[in-house]
Amino acid sequence: MAETAIMYDSSKCTACKGCQVACKQWNQLPSPLSSELFEYTESFQAPRDLGSNTWLIINFSEEDKEIGIDWNFMRNSCFHCTDAACEMACPVGAISHKDNGAVVIDQDKCIGCRYCVASCPFDVPRWDEAKNKTFKCWQCFDRTSAGRAPACVSTCPTDALQFGDRAEMLGLARERVSELKAAGFDKAEIYGEDELGGLHTIVVAHRGLEAHGLIRDPKIGLTDFWQFLKPLGAIGAGATVLGLGFSYFMARDYDRGEYSYDEATDTVSVKEVE
Amino acid sequence: MRYIQRHSAFARGLHWIHTIACLSLFATGLILFIPSVAAAVGTATVQGARMVHRVMAVIFIVAPIVSMIISPKGFVHLWNSLFFKWDADDKEFMKKFFPYLLFGAKQHMPPQKINKSGQGAVDGVLIFASVFISLTGVVLWWPEFFGGPTSGLFQWSLVLHSGLMILIGVIMLAHIYLGAGIFQPYKGSGKLMFGNGRVTESDALYHWGHWAKDELKKGDNVIVE
Ligand code: SF4
Ligand code: SF4
Ligand code: SF4
Repeated sequence: MAETAIMYDSSKCTACKGCQVACKQWNQLPSPLSSELFEYTESFQAPRDLGSNTWLIINFSEEDKEIGIDWNFMRNSCFHCTDAACEMACPVGAISHKDNGAVVIDQDKCIGCRYCVASCPFDVPRWDEAKNKTFKCWQCFDRTSAGRAPACVSTCPTDALQFGDRAEMLGLARERVSELKAAGFDKAEIYGEDELGGLHTIVVAHRGLEAHGLIRDPKIGLTDFWQFLKPLGAIGAGATVLGLGFSYFMARDYDRGEYSYDEATDTVSVKEVE
Repeated sequence: MRYIQRHSAFARGLHWIHTIACLSLFATGLILFIPSVAAAVGTATVQGARMVHRVMAVIFIVAPIVSMIISPKGFVHLWNSLFFKWDADDKEFMKKFFPYLLFGAKQHMPPQKINKSGQGAVDGVLIFASVFISLTGVVLWWPEFFGGPTSGLFQWSLVLHSGLMILIGVIMLAHIYLGAGIFQPYKGSGKLMFGNGRVTESDALYHWGHWAKDELKKGDNVIVE
């Protein structure tokens, strides 16, 4: 299977939230039915954050300008990183890469430890307390493996979301950035080409990464260091066992003799043992 | 044959409890530390192991605290064994310890007081590591009280918990090697904590020369059989 990617073009997105709905519908993720259960976001963004039943939202970061408002939308979901910190951190191997680059959690294996939650640089995986499992976007692998586009992509009315061969998506993104630059969006940038080994969600950020809340040069951070402890532990234990084995070998025939003490004369004597 | 009673039944009991807790913490912790092991044993076993890990962690933490309350004398003894002034023999012991460990038959060790200087140093590291592995364990158990799993505290706890496990593991390997008397010059040491807590006159003189002489002179703890 060739590497595939979702491409999100912020300049084409109208934040209609059709993708959010399609994601919920296809993946059967219920929403709270009473409005009180939605936290007020002080903007048009809803809901406020991702959750175990919300794998995709369109983030709003409106900027008040002298004339009008800059609507800097951003698709907030899993980036399906090549160097996926969540996968490295999972102690039971519940997270894996599919051949096309999608990073998928197998809930049957998940033990709810939340190490992936702690590790993801983008704060994507979310834990469900009742189920004691962690959930996130799986790039609709059921659909893509059957040759269909992910649900969110297939519903997008403006083509802000596209899906296909990763190289092709990168080509489209590059073209779009040139167009945007020519049209005066001089900060337009691509996200996801090389970040964390290459992401499988490519973003065209037409007002620059920061305006859309994207992390420039994301790092795996502590998870990398933590993984490094595993071989270190094996080396430490191995070296200790070898050292002690050598010690055993060298001392195996040693007999230190029989010690005794005479209190009257305050002398310790050692009798050789045959 | 003369023996010296070195460890009380209370100390041996605590050591038994801590041995069981410690070994089960290792076994269950390693399942989570090595993903291929976790994958091999399956989700239900991993969840069971996590539960055992927590129960044993409570025992690991509570047992020494309770014993400190029941027997403050033991605690003072432990304190003194960590922070005593090293004399020339103690320093020489430390200097000679590694050559002794590797070439046990050739190296003569200086006489020691009730606690060997090297043992005191290692115990200090071990207690420090145990306190921190417990504290980080509490953060991993209840992340919601510490800013949630995305907090720096949780992430550091994860790293430190694993790092300290390696440190304690390596010390434990050496402790078992010496304490159980696998190392020829330490033969018979296992009985001290796992048996009746007595040491023969000969072994006592070999390991803790100064202490053995004092005890044999005093006679309170000497048993003749
Ligand atoms: S964005 Fe986070 S959850 Fe998604 S693959 Fe990367 S590290 Fe994993
Ligand atoms: S919460 Fe589940 S998926 Fe995440 S690291 Fe733990 S076991 Fe793996
Ligand atoms: S790819 Fe599928 S799971 Fe991921 S956000 Fe789109 S619809 Fe949801």
